[in-house]
Amino acid sequence: HVEALEILLQGLCGVQRERLRIHELCLKNGPNLGTGSSEVRLLCDLEQTEPSWTVRHVGGAMRGAGADQISVLVRTMVESKVSKNVLRMFYTLGYRLDHELLRVGFSFQFNRGAQITVTVSSVNKMLKLHATDEAVPVTPGIQMVEVTAPASAKNYTEVAAAVQSFCEYLAPLLHLSKPGVSTGVVPTAAAAAASLMSDGGGTPL
Amino acid sequence: MEGELVQQQQQPQERLNQAVQQQLNLEQVKTRAISLFKAISRILEDFDAYARTNTTPKWQDILGQYSMVNLELFNIVDDIKKVSKAFIVYPKNINADNATILPVMLSTKLLPEMETEDTSKRDQLLQGMQNLPIATQIDKLKARLDMIAAACEGAEKVLADTRKAYCFGTRQGPAIVPTFDKGQAAKIQEQENILRAAVNVGEELRIPGDQRRTTASLPMHLADAYPVNEGAQSFPDVSGNNVYMKNTPLSSNNMGGQNSLLQLHGQHQMQFSPQLGHQQFQGRQLSSAHMQHGIGQSQLNQGNQMTRLSQFPGHANSALFSAAQTTPNTQMIPNISAGITSQSLLPRMQYGLSGNNPQRSHPSQMLSDQSMNFIPQ
Repeated sequence: HVEALEILLQGLCGVQRERLRIHELCLKNGPNLGTGSSEVRLLCDLEQTEPSWTVRHVGGAMRGAGADQISVLVRTMVESKVSKNVLRMFYTLGYRLDHELLRVGFSFQFNRGAQITVTVSSVNKMLKLHATDEAVPVTPGIQMVEVTAPASAKNYTEVAAAVQSFCEYLAPLLHLSKPGVSTGVVPTAAAAAASLMSDGGGTPL
Repeated sequence: MEGELVQQQQQPQERLNQAVQQQLNLEQVKTRAISLFKAISRILEDFDAYARTNTTPKWQDILGQYSMVNLELFNIVDDIKKVSKAFIVYPKNINADNATILPVMLSTKLLPEMETEDTSKRDQLLQGMQNLPIATQIDKLKARLDMIAAACEGAEKVLADTRKAYCFGTRQGPAIVPTFDKGQAAKIQEQENILRAAVNVGEELRIPGDQRRTTASLPMHLADAYPVNEGAQSFPDVSGNNVYMKNTPLSSNNMGGQNSLLQLHGQHQMQFSPQLGHQQFQGRQLSSAHMQHGIGQSQLNQGNQMTRLSQFPGHANSALFSAAQTTPNTQMIPNISAGITSQSLLPRMQYGLSGNNPQRSHPSQMLSDQSMNFIPQ
């Protein structure tokens, strides 16, 4: 129902979709480096003519009773654009490649109470190291939908509420949950997708 | 009232139409007017009395009287409104104030814009029907209205049905059982878990060491990620042996006390350099790849020395590692044990390096893993 979801998102967001092709390398530090294990993700955007690199560190999630009440996951994240020799630099520091994956799909960025980014992509793995042209989906037929929004310590409750209310609009097609919590399939998804794809004359595609 | 007065003035003999008269119910209006007049005059008298006696009036009484007046006025206006259409407003007095506005007020013709709008709407409505008699026109318009009403009802019904189907506004799910059977649902759940694990943690994505063989050409965006020999772009670099040797500086480093072991290795290396005659780069693809993978290029001289050491066949490495184990004040030993899971160090090394078989499997891979662990901090 990816196309139906795209139509729904197009209607909700009002902006054009952007294509997505990101090679994500997850690096973990070696046993000698640092006090504990840490991981760093390098994202290379392959959609641009000149591939651009970003480094991202995902911190721990907010915990506690307050976090349980919020239905979205709030966690720290540090992200920065980097030059293209970043991989070599991390190898030099002692990081090792733990795994890599390739995300292919599309994303929407818009403002609806908060600057929300919705990404729909199929996650592909590479059987051979760095062979981005020969990537196969990890789960054929199932794609990953991510809804994220940046927030600060002061306004994260409002941003969380905005994200949650946006996710409710997607309810006919899919349920979203915190990372690590599985959701299952929405029973009405097929009917909803059919109605989204139909041409208005009642004939489903 | 006005109309009646006017008519009496102009045609004193003429009586009003019977029907209009009945509608107007003049008697009733007259009585109402009289009672209204009485109520107002009562209020005025009361106020006079208050003013004379200088007492404060009771607020409730006054409110009551005013409400009476209000009610009666309302009734009168209501009665007259019903029949006001039959009468024309007739100006009693024309003077300078009225003269300009009177023609507009008295005319029954609409303003020009309103007129055009009216005619255009009428044309739109009666398109194609002007030729037919009026009765059929009326019928057709009625049919049109019915069709529109039916379409509206249909739309409302569809909305209500979809609302029920998706349970908008209700917190419960639909009453219809989902169309997946248990097997399908389980499969989907399993796939979902796989996907989540892959993205969050990296399950199923880790390539075991012996499969980490780079393809002949890296994708464009990774071209700089791995150190490249002069004049050679790809890893299975059989031809570049000597070049590689040249690149490796033999100078010692200045990184401090921790590197005593490394300098020791450097000394060992000096001894081994003449033995580089039979290099085994063929089939060393993975190990060389891995080593360069783990170690930077020119910035880290020790790394290069490490690399070269691990490639030396025969007893050289056993000497190295025995040196490693005997040298005090080093962090290497704990690291070595951390780097290798369960087997002891030496046998592995010798096993891996004794033969010349081009296909290196785990032992050599472990060796290069260790070499990565040797990088000082």
